[in-house]
Amino acid sequence: MSAIAPLLSVRYVTKYFRLRTPLFQPTVYKRAVDDVSFEIPHGQTLALVGESGSGKSTIGLMLLDLLEPTSGDILYEGRPFSARRGRERKALRREMQVVFQDPYASLNARMNVRETLTEGMLVHRIGANAREREERAAALLRQVSLTPDALERYPHEFSGGQRQRIAIARALSVEPKFLVLDEPTSALDVSVQSQVLNLLRHLQRELGLTYLLITHNLDVVGYLADSVCVMEAGKIVERGTVDDIFDNPKEAYTQRLLSAIPSLDPAIQALLAQNRP
Amino acid sequence: MRLIPACGVPNVAQPLLQVDDLRTYFGTPYGIARAVDGVSFVLEHGETLALVGESGCGKSMTALSIMQLVPEPAGYIDGGRILFEGKDLLDLTWNQMRQVRGNDIAMIFQEPMTSLNGTRTIGWQLVEAMEVHGKASGHAAQHRALELLTRVGLEQPTLVLRQYPHELSGGMRQRVLIAMALANEPKLLIADEPTTALDVTIQAQILDLMRDLQRALGMSMLLITHDLGIVAKMAQHVAVMYAGQIVEYAPTQHLFRQPCHPYTRGLFASLPSRYRRGVDLATLEGVVPQATNWPRACRFEPRCPYHWGTCMQMPPRMLGTAPGHTVRCHLYDPTVADRLSLDTLRHRGGDVVKAIGQTPEAEANA
Repeated sequence: MSAIAPLLSVRYVTKYFRLRTPLFQPTVYKRAVDDVSFEIPHGQTLALVGESGSGKSTIGLMLLDLLEPTSGDILYEGRPFSARRGRERKALRREMQVVFQDPYASLNARMNVRETLTEGMLVHRIGANAREREERAAALLRQVSLTPDALERYPHEFSGGQRQRIAIARALSVEPKFLVLDEPTSALDVSVQSQVLNLLRHLQRELGLTYLLITHNLDVVGYLADSVCVMEAGKIVERGTVDDIFDNPKEAYTQRLLSAIPSLDPAIQALLAQNRP
Repeated sequence: MRLIPACGVPNVAQPLLQVDDLRTYFGTPYGIARAVDGVSFVLEHGETLALVGESGCGKSMTALSIMQLVPEPAGYIDGGRILFEGKDLLDLTWNQMRQVRGNDIAMIFQEPMTSLNGTRTIGWQLVEAMEVHGKASGHAAQHRALELLTRVGLEQPTLVLRQYPHELSGGMRQRVLIAMALANEPKLLIADEPTTALDVTIQAQILDLMRDLQRALGMSMLLITHDLGIVAKMAQHVAVMYAGQIVEYAPTQHLFRQPCHPYTRGLFASLPSRYRRGVDLATLEGVVPQATNWPRACRFEPRCPYHWGTCMQMPPRMLGTAPGHTVRCHLYDPTVADRLSLDTLRHRGGDVVKAIGQTPEAEANA
């Protein structure tokens, strides 16, 4: 363990889901997450990669305190979730927010942007009055490169990329320290994806945020993450820095995952390499 | 059947599919949406052409126009020609077109579940596809269905024959759809984002399968995707679409080495990669314009870092920059882009030029 305590440490966490079985049959459990441990240092990005069903989203939900682990514990700033009760537990949820894949589904179509952005502030009592909260909402919009005149508009008036910015602004509205990014750009077009990725990188630098990036897009992992955990069937099969995993995948599964992605022509890779700062 | 295509191309090797100035419009309350607006391309026998572009650029509508499955009555094909083996599909009656669909041209879609009938077994649906076109019936059809399922790499084909779509995984369903598309040995397979809904490892398997089958059967393929990685893997030629038009058309290798159109260059420069860690990715500012209200001259002009006055006055032509490589941009038009404008644009597009690495001018001179 490093000298500085990590923001989050996941210790031997397991999550079983009970499957439906016929009456009088023995119960069967699905091991969605099986004895997983990792740490995320302050201000860093850890990527979880793997196919659907490998348990990466389940881990995301447990880190957000939306699912209880079957066993094991998650420590936030050195203190386990289970030791926190009442107000302290609620405060924990304020510090951890999430951005989902589909900004068409994750925003409430009946709420305008002002309501969307101030709801969390109301719940967590941020801002003294409505006016102050609205000012904060406008500032958040500017932070994600939208104009404050968006406040009175509804989600359907925005494009996919703009909606994802609103979803990010909503996550930031309660001043979190930690964000779970669950496939944040999978539903977006390439040119819009780059805007959202730039934004996420800038926000991390400016606000000192810590990210858990859940995705199967390895190019996004390579761009945004510091370290990577490769998951297969609920277990972490390989972990390391981005360069370790990409240049030297040790496990057969990681190699298969890397080779499965249609990589761009080497000429482009060379062109990309030239662009290295 | 006409022996010589009416366009005057000599009949040395007639392409399988030739689309000429295709226009598919939609009547909307806000005016006419010109979803496909003057698209032309050629697809040779046994070749794969990729149509690439972002959502709303008209790539799927181009495919649906070829199949004449444009949602009616709002949508209609306003003009153009779709020459399949030299005969214009637009001249066919509805019944004649039904014979072409699924027989000569088959199509697979992104979400396999919506393309399958949830109340019938896989076997029933495969046999139906063959019987409709009179290719086989009864036991012969059953037998062939089994053979097809084996061919697309399903492990327990006899079991799958009796299963319903909901009992299969996404990858298996896509394999079933491919089997169904191949049932009548089409000459052209149109695949609209065939792997977007699938996991990466499954995606790789499906793409490999499609490529192997294509080689074995000598099919041509029109592949619609937004993923440049898939294009690099699958296609021999690429057409990049933007705002209802093809803006760049080139052999794949050539396009990846030397993208010319500012939009294509922007797309490549915006791709995330670990080689770009810590630097901002290039972005294309602004949004795709509305199909009812395309910019009058160059459609990319409002978002283009290189634009200058002419781009707002005159629509660019499709121009050759290298053999087989054409691009719709004034930068490559010697009659339009004089030295002065090239200098201005280099000044303006400085940031993008830096991000991409090379100026178009340098390439134009090369």
